[in-house]
Amino acid sequence: MNALLREARFLLGLKSVVAAMVALFALTAVAVSAGLVEVARQEAAIARIGPQQASDVAAITDWVSREKDPGSAAYYTFHATSDPPSDLAFAAIGTRDVSPYVLRVRALGLEAQLYEGEIGNPEAALPGRFDFAFVLVYLAPLFVILLFHDLRSGEREAGRLRALEASVGASSALWGPRLTVRALGLFLVLALPFLVGAFVAGTAPWKVGAVLVVVLAYLAFWIVLCVVVARAARSSLANAMTLAAAWMTLTLIVPAIGHVVINSAIPLRQGMELGQTQRTAVHRAWDIPKAETMDAFFRTHPQWRNTAPLGEAFHWKWYFAFHQVGDELAGGLSRQYRQGVLERAAWSERLGLVTPGVATQLALHRLAATDPAAQIAYQDRIRAFHGELRRFFYPYLFEDRPFGRADFARAPEYRAAPAAGSWPVALLGGVVLMTALVGGVGLVRGRREAS
Amino acid sequence: MSVILSVTRNELRHLVRSRVALTGLILVALLTFAAALTSNAYQADQAGLRERLQHAADQDFAAQPNRHPHRVVHFGHFAIRPASGLAAMDPGVEAYTGNMIFLEGHRQNSANFGDARQSSLLVRFGQLSPALVLQVIVPLLLVFIGAGMIAGERERGTLRQSLLAGISGGALLSGKALALGLAALAIATPAFGLLLWLGASGGARLSAVGLTTLGYVAYLAFWTLLIIAVSATANRSRSALIGLVGAWAFMVVLVPRVAPEAAAALAPLPTRVETDIAVQRDLRSMGDSHNPNDPYFAAFKQKTLKQYGVTRVEDLPVNYRGLLAIEGEKLTSSLFDRYADQAFGAMEAQGRVMDALAVVSPTVAIRRVSMTLAETDLFAYRRFLEQAEAYRYDLVQRLNRLQATAVTAADDAAKSKNAAAEARSRISADHWQAMPHFDPKRPSAADVVSRALPALVALLLWLAAGALFAVHAGRRLNRRAA
Repeated sequence: MNALLREARFLLGLKSVVAAMVALFALTAVAVSAGLVEVARQEAAIARIGPQQASDVAAITDWVSREKDPGSAAYYTFHATSDPPSDLAFAAIGTRDVSPYVLRVRALGLEAQLYEGEIGNPEAALPGRFDFAFVLVYLAPLFVILLFHDLRSGEREAGRLRALEASVGASSALWGPRLTVRALGLFLVLALPFLVGAFVAGTAPWKVGAVLVVVLAYLAFWIVLCVVVARAARSSLANAMTLAAAWMTLTLIVPAIGHVVINSAIPLRQGMELGQTQRTAVHRAWDIPKAETMDAFFRTHPQWRNTAPLGEAFHWKWYFAFHQVGDELAGGLSRQYRQGVLERAAWSERLGLVTPGVATQLALHRLAATDPAAQIAYQDRIRAFHGELRRFFYPYLFEDRPFGRADFARAPEYRAAPAAGSWPVALLGGVVLMTALVGGVGLVRGRREAS
Repeated sequence: MSVILSVTRNELRHLVRSRVALTGLILVALLTFAAALTSNAYQADQAGLRERLQHAADQDFAAQPNRHPHRVVHFGHFAIRPASGLAAMDPGVEAYTGNMIFLEGHRQNSANFGDARQSSLLVRFGQLSPALVLQVIVPLLLVFIGAGMIAGERERGTLRQSLLAGISGGALLSGKALALGLAALAIATPAFGLLLWLGASGGARLSAVGLTTLGYVAYLAFWTLLIIAVSATANRSRSALIGLVGAWAFMVVLVPRVAPEAAAALAPLPTRVETDIAVQRDLRSMGDSHNPNDPYFAAFKQKTLKQYGVTRVEDLPVNYRGLLAIEGEKLTSSLFDRYADQAFGAMEAQGRVMDALAVVSPTVAIRRVSMTLAETDLFAYRRFLEQAEAYRYDLVQRLNRLQATAVTAADDAAKSKNAAAEARSRISADHWQAMPHFDPKRPSAADVVSRALPALVALLLWLAAGALFAVHAGRRLNRRAA
């Protein structure tokens, strides 16, 4: 204990070290605040939409309920869906800044509505978010390097190393407390702002614990790497250079190359083709006999087969049927697209198993439910809700039931499901494994040098 | 001069001898090369894909059968954004905007399927492009190589010897700066090679190639001078390193990333849903062409009857429904334009806030210079959207005019109840085949350059500040030696 206190006092006496700690603390605090601000902005937008949407539906109700035409009701009424940020989203915004978290859909073809973009300033999205995950993954290792690269070499260069080691006897008694104090300091400057943020956001305790475990595991990796590199008796600057190269490789270069490789191995052209296919399928219906469309529709919806046959005149049920058939025709591409997004995510996870920075990044986003999988889950919820909408309107359309004021109130309502987040076990395992691997290599090399 | 060169030669010899530094240099040079290669290949692939898709869309549009013109309005068309000249150097906002937009009547759609949305979370630091390497990675590598160049000599005591031997602080500093600058140039060579190639192969304008090169040279020269000056000022190489990494974290990482937060707070953007709801509300208050009792359209009807000198819609020489469609599209489009202008106005206000932060970070300035000259900035994207919108409006109005002139009012009115009338309301497919193709124009070279100029000036000012700092640090070295 005394050794720790002595080390802490020694550390506080080093101006550059204190400056680095303060800087990292400030960066983390800014990142946490920026995350909280962004989450509050998204929550405010979701809250603002409620009343606006209600008055929009009220206005449509007013004129539709005069003619009571279910087709007009289904055609003109949009239904709002939303994907509220989780209690941990502030720490890892993920793709929430480039994909919509509020979307309105109507009972028409879904594939033409599901991928609508959000009005965002692309130049503002370009540099990427400054959130807790970013500070941890990209900046914290740099500070680890600054604090640990010259542990031994610094003392040696100052000519104190032999005296120091002689004075304490065992070298572990000297380096143990020194490492512990510095590691603890780094952990605290990262954890404290995060804990304040978690308290403000009301984050579930298990998630807070999980984030702290991730932080510890990631810091441990970098500290072990620093110690291993620092054992080699080279100059402080050479150590710093080696570690900086490791940082660039592990946090910038490997992920960037991985991104290029994954995206070219799993090209997602379905997006653009999807739009064209769906549009062509839908509009073809105007040029083919109505019976052809209805037969295709009845194959998936046999329950409406025996309703009143179509006449010569336009009927909404035909119109909605061909939208449904269009969706079904584009369904293959749509599934491929969904699958492709998830597959890209799965491959980046595999990359994470050998790249601690990637694993940490993905682990935090998994916990915060802000990753591509969460975006797909939101699309799936919209899909399910859209199915409900169709099932709600079809009886009115196919049985020619009038659609009155009271029916508007009966329409299904989207219930936002809070994104749960889950323990990123495999990813965390990857970080621990890589730490053990680096530590093991260090030990083996150390023994070889000693013998 | 020969003193400076001999310092440079010595320093370069050190650099080559220090395996770590040399490995770092080679690593990043290879990275720059890989970035240039993959970025160029990706852009070429994209350019091909876009051309094919636009061609397929044009074919689909022309291949429509005989139809009622309003069906074609809803069939719509696709506009695909052509690749710009220097996108391989700096893809800018392309990953965020998407490149394909669906054009249809009564609606203004956004470009969908941006890459950022459908990619994993691997590159939250930025896509691998020559621009990212030069803006972010190269300065950091230079920091690690250069932080100890003078401070290290001070620690070892060789600095004093050199100064006592009569080498002036200025010469020493210049020599070291030259060595570090040469290292920077070596790393940047593949990127500059790509720039030249893009210029020579005709995709990019020479003015853009020249000014982009100038911008990056100024940016890297600033970092070189800053690093050497800090190294000369610091007592220990560790302090120099911590100070410079701090400066890098602040200028390269923190400011560009926090700038959008500040901008969003000052000029907030509405969500698409809110805009849609507002547009619908305004449309309702404007009038409903489907409602025969609507006051706006009742007045429009009176005006039209008077213009043609008849008393009943049935007596008009043209199909009144077509005229209504033309008028309706005019109203909705002006509304869309108003909201789009508002949104872009807010985005540009945000852009001005972010650009202003070039005062505290040269990275903000080089980003603007690079992206603007590559025509991958917000302005270029807006230009594409506006041209697509103009094309959409023209297309829809041509079709509406066809509805007014080529479809009789009687058939138009009876088409949803009577199959024979429906068949007569279809007009020849020749009409769609004769429609103009979407052909977006690039902004003029002068326009692009004038947009990049303020940031370029800011960058040169940073370079001047770096030079002043270096001169000051050189004089201090002399004073200390004396």
